[in-house]
Amino acid sequence: MSEKIIEFNNVSFVYDIDDEEDQAQSVPALFGIDLEINKGEFVAVLGHNGSGKSTLAKLCNAIYEPTSGSVTVKGIQATDEDKADEIRRIVGMVFQNPDNQIVATIVEDDVAFGPENLGVEPKEIRRRVDEALKAVNMYDLRHREPYKLSGGQKQRVAIAGVIAMQTECIVLDEPTAMLDPMGRAEVMQTVKRLNKELGITVVLVTHFMDEAVQADRVVVMDSGKIVMQGTPREIFSQAEALRSYGLDVPQSTDLCHLLGIQKSVLTVDECVDEIAALLGGAQ
Amino acid sequence: MTHAIEIKNLTHYYSKGTVQQVAAIDNVSLTIEKGELVGIIGHTGSGKSTLISHFNGLLKPDSGQVLVDGVDIHKDKETLRNTRFKVGLCFQYPEYQLFEETVFKDIAFGPKNMKLSDNEVKERVMKAAAFAGVKGEHLNKSPFDLSGGEKRRAAIAGVLAMEPQIVIFDEPAAGLDPKGRKDLVELIANYRRQTGSTVIIVSHSMEDIASMADRVIVMNNASVAMQGTVDEVYSRGDELRSMGLNVPEITEIFSRLRARGIDVPANIYTVADGVEAIKNLTSGRCSE
Repeated sequence: MSEKIIEFNNVSFVYDIDDEEDQAQSVPALFGIDLEINKGEFVAVLGHNGSGKSTLAKLCNAIYEPTSGSVTVKGIQATDEDKADEIRRIVGMVFQNPDNQIVATIVEDDVAFGPENLGVEPKEIRRRVDEALKAVNMYDLRHREPYKLSGGQKQRVAIAGVIAMQTECIVLDEPTAMLDPMGRAEVMQTVKRLNKELGITVVLVTHFMDEAVQADRVVVMDSGKIVMQGTPREIFSQAEALRSYGLDVPQSTDLCHLLGIQKSVLTVDECVDEIAALLGGAQ
Repeated sequence: MTHAIEIKNLTHYYSKGTVQQVAAIDNVSLTIEKGELVGIIGHTGSGKSTLISHFNGLLKPDSGQVLVDGVDIHKDKETLRNTRFKVGLCFQYPEYQLFEETVFKDIAFGPKNMKLSDNEVKERVMKAAAFAGVKGEHLNKSPFDLSGGEKRRAAIAGVLAMEPQIVIFDEPAAGLDPKGRKDLVELIANYRRQTGSTVIIVSHSMEDIASMADRVIVMNNASVAMQGTVDEVYSRGDELRSMGLNVPEITEIFSRLRARGIDVPANIYTVADGVEAIKNLTSGRCSE
């Protein structure tokens, strides 16, 4: 049995909003979520806007507390106020907008911000910052001013800031939504490398199907519930179900499906092989 | 015939007069024709947003000219003011700019500023709301009670309600789920079909641009690096990649098939075109 890093046990979450007349309104966002994230796993979370993905992400590191049920991070109950700091040392968050999560005026200072707040020794901070910047391929730009970086570079600085705190798990909430194609590719390569080489657990919330394909497991949310769960191959072979949840399949999968190719296809490489075989006779 | 927009030798500096001075737009000239749907692509920091902020006079060129309908928009105050109504600009994440008490009032803000009568304002609001897919029952709600996708539609309706001749969308689908993205692409295509407006879309989605644009302008390092039809631009995949861009996954599939010596067409930019191309090849073979 693999070790669990995050456990959701029958978790529901309700937003309390005050309307114009200051009447408290309750808006339920999650209903009875059961979910386990294993150590070292790369899990992608899909779902249309408003399906509860971001709420789920924010419950992972005690930004929100469950309204009922329990979230446990390495055995620590997230409901305990005093334990929030401890949980955030284990699970770090990266958000969508690269400009909203950089605090310092020099790249390496920004990465040092987290460990400084944890009271880590200066020498150790230096070591961690260097290591984290190397891990996201930003070491050469460590003396730069963040505002001069591209979106993809800023997101990698944000990721470095999280790993400098030696978190074991990173939760990324649509980290590539605002990036150009190269920025997206850079962030995805970084995330995958951290997962494979450093064994960091990754939870990736995304609207991009081609990113979800790269995960070990895909979780699909709809109306605050988990409605599908499985390997990318299992999930993306169900195009109709995904579309009914406002989602889609990668273009490679779509093309082969529409051509009546039975085999499940996820990547460009697989698609090229299948179509070459389909046209094969003549070549 | 006059162009919808003509940019002549436009240069715009950031941090002008300091040691940090950098040209965000460097001597760019281009035209946008009436009724055209133009896609503008380019990596972050390539100058796209700075460029489009000149189209309705939000930014003033450091040198060069911006002509809308053949008239220099910075000619006088009155012309500049009218340009703001003629050229509608829908920013990235426009839902963060909703501010009124109700969705109706928010959509009405532009037309009201145009000093239209109450009846005309109401008519415009209803029409724009219908175009943008804002539900009738939402009009009297606070914009903050809507979901993200609904807020985006309300914000877009606010721009359309001014009935601009030219509409510019900066990353209209950023952060939307696949269905929301598809719906929005359709909304824009419909709007253009029905009104004949000139539409300019800035996007990082090579797929969206491929499915909509008559012409594509590629910005790189503060200059126009390429422009042409989708075909003309997307066939230069290696150059696009060198500029931090890419081609749609479907285009990549077809170029790899060709690299294997399989005779498929190179100009495939949407899945529908791809299916047709392969079907043509297989059915051709069956009848041989």
